[in-house]
Amino acid sequence: MKLTLEMKNIVKRFPGVLANDHVSLTIQAGEIHALVGENGAGKSTLMQILYGFHAMDSGEIFVDSRPVHLSSPKDAIALGIGMVHQEFMLVQTFSVVENIVLGLSEGAGMLDLPRAASRMRDLSDRYGLALDPFAKVGALPTGVQQRVEILKLLYRDASLLILDEPTAVLTPGEKDRLFAVLNELRQGGHSIVIVTHKLNEIMELANRVTVMRDGRALGTKSVRSTSQQELAQLMIGRDVRLHAVKLGSRFGEPILRVEELCVADDADVEKVHGVSLQVRAGEIFGIAGVDGNGQSELAEAILHLRKMRSGRIFLAGTDATQMSVAERRAKGISYVPANRRQMGSVTEMTVADNAVLGLQRRYTRGLFRSVRDARHSAHRLAERFGIRGAGIDSPAGKLSGGNLQKLIVGREITCGASVLVVEQPTRGLDVGAVESVWKELLLARQEGKAVLLISTEMEELLNLADRIAVLFDGRIVGVFDAPFRSVDQIGLLMAGIAPSGLSTRLASQENRT
Amino acid sequence: MTKLFERRLAPADSPLAVAGTTTLALFAAMAVAAIFFRYYGVSPIQAYFGLFHEPFATLHGFGYALVRAAPLALVALGTIVSWRSGFYYLGFEGCFVMGAAAAGWLSLSTAPGARLGPLPFALFLPLAVLFSWTVGGLWAGLVAFVRVRLGGNEVLISLMSNYVARLFLQYLVSGPLRAPGSQPETTLLPRGTWLPFLFPGTRGHAGILVAVVAALFVWATLQKLPLGYELIVTGFNPAAARYAGIEVGRRMMLAGFFAGGLGALAGMAEALGSQHRLMDGISGNMGFVGIIVALLSRLNPLATVPVALVYGGMAVGADAMQRRASIPSSITFILESLAILLVLASDILRFYRLNFSVLGRFKWRVSRSQDPA
Repeated sequence: MKLTLEMKNIVKRFPGVLANDHVSLTIQAGEIHALVGENGAGKSTLMQILYGFHAMDSGEIFVDSRPVHLSSPKDAIALGIGMVHQEFMLVQTFSVVENIVLGLSEGAGMLDLPRAASRMRDLSDRYGLALDPFAKVGALPTGVQQRVEILKLLYRDASLLILDEPTAVLTPGEKDRLFAVLNELRQGGHSIVIVTHKLNEIMELANRVTVMRDGRALGTKSVRSTSQQELAQLMIGRDVRLHAVKLGSRFGEPILRVEELCVADDADVEKVHGVSLQVRAGEIFGIAGVDGNGQSELAEAILHLRKMRSGRIFLAGTDATQMSVAERRAKGISYVPANRRQMGSVTEMTVADNAVLGLQRRYTRGLFRSVRDARHSAHRLAERFGIRGAGIDSPAGKLSGGNLQKLIVGREITCGASVLVVEQPTRGLDVGAVESVWKELLLARQEGKAVLLISTEMEELLNLADRIAVLFDGRIVGVFDAPFRSVDQIGLLMAGIAPSGLSTRLASQENRT
Repeated sequence: MTKLFERRLAPADSPLAVAGTTTLALFAAMAVAAIFFRYYGVSPIQAYFGLFHEPFATLHGFGYALVRAAPLALVALGTIVSWRSGFYYLGFEGCFVMGAAAAGWLSLSTAPGARLGPLPFALFLPLAVLFSWTVGGLWAGLVAFVRVRLGGNEVLISLMSNYVARLFLQYLVSGPLRAPGSQPETTLLPRGTWLPFLFPGTRGHAGILVAVVAALFVWATLQKLPLGYELIVTGFNPAAARYAGIEVGRRMMLAGFFAGGLGALAGMAEALGSQHRLMDGISGNMGFVGIIVALLSRLNPLATVPVALVYGGMAVGADAMQRRASIPSSITFILESLAILLVLASDILRFYRLNFSVLGRFKWRVSRSQDPA
């Protein structure tokens, strides 16, 4: 059951990149070990070697002091090493137990689902996974699907679990749930490696942490003897201010005004119930809330990417309720969507083409598109926002998440819009990229733009916003002004608990909005 | 250690790499087909000489190659417009037939004493282009409309619509437009409405010029106009397109209209340039072969005319081969099929890098081992 693992002097070279440069890593039995580093530091490569997905060029791996050879994920799981990927590998139309036994050959060629289900239930109960064997996976929320992935590994007797960015897709509630499960597993003697770049999570959960940068491991520390600041410095090799510097701003007239907005989701279930808000020039208006409380629907309705059921939207004093997406954009609104690769960019097209997405009718000379102007704009964005990793003529899909996000944020900020709707701008980004996105948002505020910032990261909202509205179940349940002294109250409202004595204050604040 | 073949992370996509692997695939197809020629007791070299000599080294054969190439290139262009816009239309047989019918009907109406009476060619041609484009465009646009507004599946509907168009032409040539006589076909179209022949004494007609102009038009639209950018974004990622303020449904319907119009021009070229009458089966499968030409052109509009020329030329060469050396022309179908398969499969080669340095090292080792001192 218990397993110690040692990786010694692992070297892995990809064409043109030294992904792992003599990396050594020791995982003790029963510990949660965090592996941190910026995007491209070599964490994923190292884990994929451990999982048998990539062959290393040189180095040694020992399991319980015996040298082992891993040439496929099958070898890894036979040794008790399993991995939960960021994108789940589940068959959506199968039930949980069918997914669990998929690929196994138990019994004599007969599928004994009831037996598998009972074993699955035992495991699920022991570690508090709370999974129904016969639920269809496609109908389960993300957090639960992730637990199915974990159970899949436990069912295969994995004692070392690798989790790649496990919280990137989770809501705060689901995150707490996951951490509870991981704690249970640790108590049961499992070893866990978490690949992440969220430092607060490491402090909360891990025993030890190894920092990687530029393909090298910079050392392993006990979490007790380190701090977030130290880890952040190690990760990016320069000082980071986890607290953004926010200058004073003069608020102008409200530029974006939303009145009594009701919006339904794809399944025609109403997700936003009568939201009203105003964002003034020079102000960052934050929308806090746990994922799935109507944030995306709200943002999409403001852009007209989604039909609204009722309500009105005003842009710079003009009624924009009937305007199409293109008309609203022309009226001076831009949008950084939560989904970078599926909505914010066309990954198959070049960086230069993506630099004019949404502005294609503006980058023209006469009747024709001006490719020169588009490339010029891409150059400017790359320079100002530090976009690295792919030339402007290579597909945007080659950019890492952080660099792609910088491209999108840069495009939407510099296109001259006076209203900026920004949704989860730093989700999944490393510290350096978060810092630069924050800086640009504050700069936009300084320039007098009205910014509607929708985020599930409290740290982000507290650092950037001038006002924070809490969205719960499609309603704004509270609005707070900076400086935010009542963080606990915001948290309670996000969880759907109305703090006593707050209701009267809320009402007055909502009137002011 | 460096390997002779090293896997690339991304395919080499320079024009040279694409041209190189494509050429390699064509040679590979020819090498395999050579086995069949041997089987018929023909020297493959002679056979290939025959295959390419007729269409590309004789004016007469080249004329025929042009005749075959024009409609193929036009259908290929239609394919490119619709597929790159994310509208997977397969109804070019239908558009071809509708375009041919439209052009043929207009042509017959200009016969002396008919509805319109004789028209100067300079007036007739733009009219014919406009009319068949509109008919074909609406034909394909209808499918696009069903897809966009009602959520229908364009692949199924467009395939089925081919039969409707074909039966419609069958009805025309055996009913209202039937010439007196036994065959279900129209009379010869008035000479004044034929597309002019390009070289005296050959069948090559101006349809190829229509194809060249259309290729430039499609290329310019897709690459140079904001509209083309919007079509391509729509094709790659409809969500991003909507985000960018692009009316995805309208763009897709426009793509359908373009595609159908281009397919209809293919039918017009065949009717006015080559057949000079309407009959059942006028499309001769070109609505599908044109899609293959588009694939072989890798959806690049400028490549369609050369590729169609090679493809059409090979068909002409195959006929000549069959006449002269009595080799069944079906062997060239095998060759063509092999060529398609291998060209499309050759993409995988672009994922590898050839390290010539490895060959160098090998030689070095050999020379060392041969050195007894």
